[in-house]
Amino acid sequence: MGIGIENLTVTYGAENVISGLSLDIPEGCFFTLLGPSGCGKTTLLRTIAGFVPAAGGTIRFGGQDVTRLPPHKRAIGMVFQDYALFPDKTVNQNVAYGLHARGEKGPTVTGKLTEALERVGLGHLGDRHPAELSGGQRQRVALARALVIKPAVLLMDEPLSNLDAKLRVQIRETITELQRESNITTVFVTHDQEEALSMSDLIGVMNKGAVEQLGSPQEIYSAPRTAYVADFVGAANRLSTRISLAGDGMVSAELCGARILATDARTGGGTEGILILRPETLHLSRDPDPARQTLPATVKSRQYLGARTSYRLHLAGDIQVVADLHGPGHDGFQPGETVSLGIDPSQARVIAA
Amino acid sequence: MTGTLCSPWFWISALALALLSLFVLYPLLNVLTASFTGEGPNGWSRLIATPRYLQAIQNTLILATTVTVVATLIGVPLAYVTARYSFAGKSLIALLPLITLVIPEVIAAQTWLMMLGNNGLITRALRDIGIRLPSFYGWFGLITSMSFIYYTYVYIGVVAAIGKFDAQLEEAAQSLGTSPARSRLKVMVPVILPAILASALLVFTMTVGNFAISMILSHRLPLLSVVTYQAAVAEGASDITMQSTLASVSVLIVMAVLFLNRWVVARGRYEIVQGRGARPQPLRGLKGAAVALAAGLVVLISLLPLISIILGAFTQARGPVMQWGNWTFANLERVFVTAPQPLINSLTYAGVATGLSIAFSAIVSYVVVKKPNIFTPFVDYISAVPLALSGTVLGVALLATFHGGWLPLSGTATIIVLAYVIRRMPFGMRNGQATLHNIPNSLEEASISLGVPPVRTFFKVVLPVMLPAIAAAAVLTWTTTVAELSASILVYSGGRETLPIQVFRLIDSGLMAYASAYGLVLVAVILIPIIVAAKLFRIDVFAAK
Repeated sequence: MGIGIENLTVTYGAENVISGLSLDIPEGCFFTLLGPSGCGKTTLLRTIAGFVPAAGGTIRFGGQDVTRLPPHKRAIGMVFQDYALFPDKTVNQNVAYGLHARGEKGPTVTGKLTEALERVGLGHLGDRHPAELSGGQRQRVALARALVIKPAVLLMDEPLSNLDAKLRVQIRETITELQRESNITTVFVTHDQEEALSMSDLIGVMNKGAVEQLGSPQEIYSAPRTAYVADFVGAANRLSTRISLAGDGMVSAELCGARILATDARTGGGTEGILILRPETLHLSRDPDPARQTLPATVKSRQYLGARTSYRLHLAGDIQVVADLHGPGHDGFQPGETVSLGIDPSQARVIAA
Repeated sequence: MTGTLCSPWFWISALALALLSLFVLYPLLNVLTASFTGEGPNGWSRLIATPRYLQAIQNTLILATTVTVVATLIGVPLAYVTARYSFAGKSLIALLPLITLVIPEVIAAQTWLMMLGNNGLITRALRDIGIRLPSFYGWFGLITSMSFIYYTYVYIGVVAAIGKFDAQLEEAAQSLGTSPARSRLKVMVPVILPAILASALLVFTMTVGNFAISMILSHRLPLLSVVTYQAAVAEGASDITMQSTLASVSVLIVMAVLFLNRWVVARGRYEIVQGRGARPQPLRGLKGAAVALAAGLVVLISLLPLISIILGAFTQARGPVMQWGNWTFANLERVFVTAPQPLINSLTYAGVATGLSIAFSAIVSYVVVKKPNIFTPFVDYISAVPLALSGTVLGVALLATFHGGWLPLSGTATIIVLAYVIRRMPFGMRNGQATLHNIPNSLEEASISLGVPPVRTFFKVVLPVMLPAIAAAAVLTWTTTVAELSASILVYSGGRETLPIQVFRLIDSGLMAYASAYGLVLVAVILIPIIVAAKLFRIDVFAAK
């Protein structure tokens, strides 16, 4: 079932952590709350779970108002950052815990247990204690334990942040697969943009207790509506600029005394804006490319990163821009060199200041 | 707010606060105010007007200072050689904490008397060859016996600090051109100094509060705990004003020491250095033999009580005269058959007190750590108050508060159990809180998210995880309540003697053989649970300390 949040307010003491937040998460959706620590994403998740009381507003699971329902009656499945496996119980006992709490007994439990552990690939480890498992195995048990009870919604609080990089990718795939199979509405909290972009159907980027932008991974990355979102998801050059309308959804932005054409992504009007340039959308050449709009620049420094090279460029008027080059010859420019910076109008976006 | 009032945790913390206020705060306030109230001149002017009381305070302070110095001088070098060197018989030293735990002070005092008292084994042997020892009663006996008990606390505290000390600091000092001995002094001493001071202050407060040894060995020398006890149990009417005044003095001394402790800790700018401890170096040859001999001697002296009560328990006696060399089971027969009431009492009271103390500590520390509300900070503070009260002070407080009045408990079994619980509960609370801080909240939330309500979650998830720590705390609580003397001796009545009280009374009458027999059974009652816990359940009792 879907999750409906309406005008939600959460307070810690006298402080509003979340004020008047509304959000609709469709049934079966893999929804990610993305943001830095302290943005309120975990608080929002814990409010949905019921561990943090709502001071105002409503939370609905598939139409049913659960705002005043204690967490143990909300039919949630929850996966925690530190796994939260019961250390004194075996893997089997951990996974069966929620089934027993629902009064299920005997062969039903055994059947569901076996199936759940098979699905996370741990069928052979049922008699182990959590201390005898690796981090990845523990997180799989936690996942099986949350899913075996067929929860109405699945809530995950940074479940991958304690794992090393390779395992993270593996478990990421497991989680996505299981979620698609079971079609359980899922809320996933993370500060890792790569996790958010690769796993989600829908992302909500959070800032100061509010969802700043809601959209598909593609929208969030390629069409950020605020400087905050642009900055947090992927790297971005942010440049203040004066603009004039150029028609056809385009604006003409003033940059280093020159004017460049860019996509208009503002919500309002005005003559001030911020030009967002993703480093990987920029081009470099020794001579001005007549097919592109270019600006003269000087290479200040560079970092060779194997698959790409990151250049720090100086433009006229002491403006700094980072450009990432991929493909053959990406490391071909040297510090001190004068180059032409190519900007694609469809990739350059102007947002409201 | 309606949510708070519905929460069972809210009511538990309210109940805990009510119980602590009634049984800890109220008696303590009673003691502090009783020194000003009552008929005639107030307690403080009588205190100043009576040389014997002033003498007692002065003696207590001198004794505490001396014992602290001597115990530190024994404990620190012992800790140092144990942490840094390996030598023959080193593993024996690991037994030290166990020895202090299983030998009640009353038995230690008894032993010293049996060895060095007027009719002691060593005294007599030396007298036979013409050497006359000074009387063991008074300063000599008090300082010797207390130092040889309390040095273990210095040892335990300092050996942990040296173990954690980063040997690389010392190496760094040497690499900068300082000689090994000097670098040790300049680098290590400042770092372990807080641990030394903390354990020294602990020894100081324990000496001030000491009852059993003071009572048995002080003889005519007035000491604070002794005169307090005497004021409380004086023939005829007990002197509530005076006993409260003297107890207040003891509270003030301990509070002063606690503040000093806080000040030292706050002033110490050193972080606890977490690092690679030094690998113990083997000591061989003459040096090794000397160290092994010195350490062995210290351990042997600590073990002496155990040996002497075993001997004493099986030795025939006619009245106070021990007939060494003639063995008998008559003494033990008395403990188990003729007069078993003290054993039964001890088992009953300590059993009930352990159960209550553990249940209270587990539930209340859970509420304090995991479900804080407006009451819990007060619960936390008040539950630590008994740490500052010696057994004698607690006994006086309970006696003054529950003697008659609307809750007449004095003389009942309840008040003995109450005294036991109050004395041990702070340790249980500390242990429980430490354990709970290590249990992440997510564990409970996981259980709740799986559909188990909060209170059932506590029993199904939190309690099982706490269980090893609770079991260790239970054993420790048992061993210390069974040995409790100073508070229970003030509040007990005839027929409710416990083992330590019985031993104390028998020593007082000079019946050492019987005292040894009761003492031996007491040690067994203490030791058996420790061994069972260690062997059967692999519980390290000292982890709970």
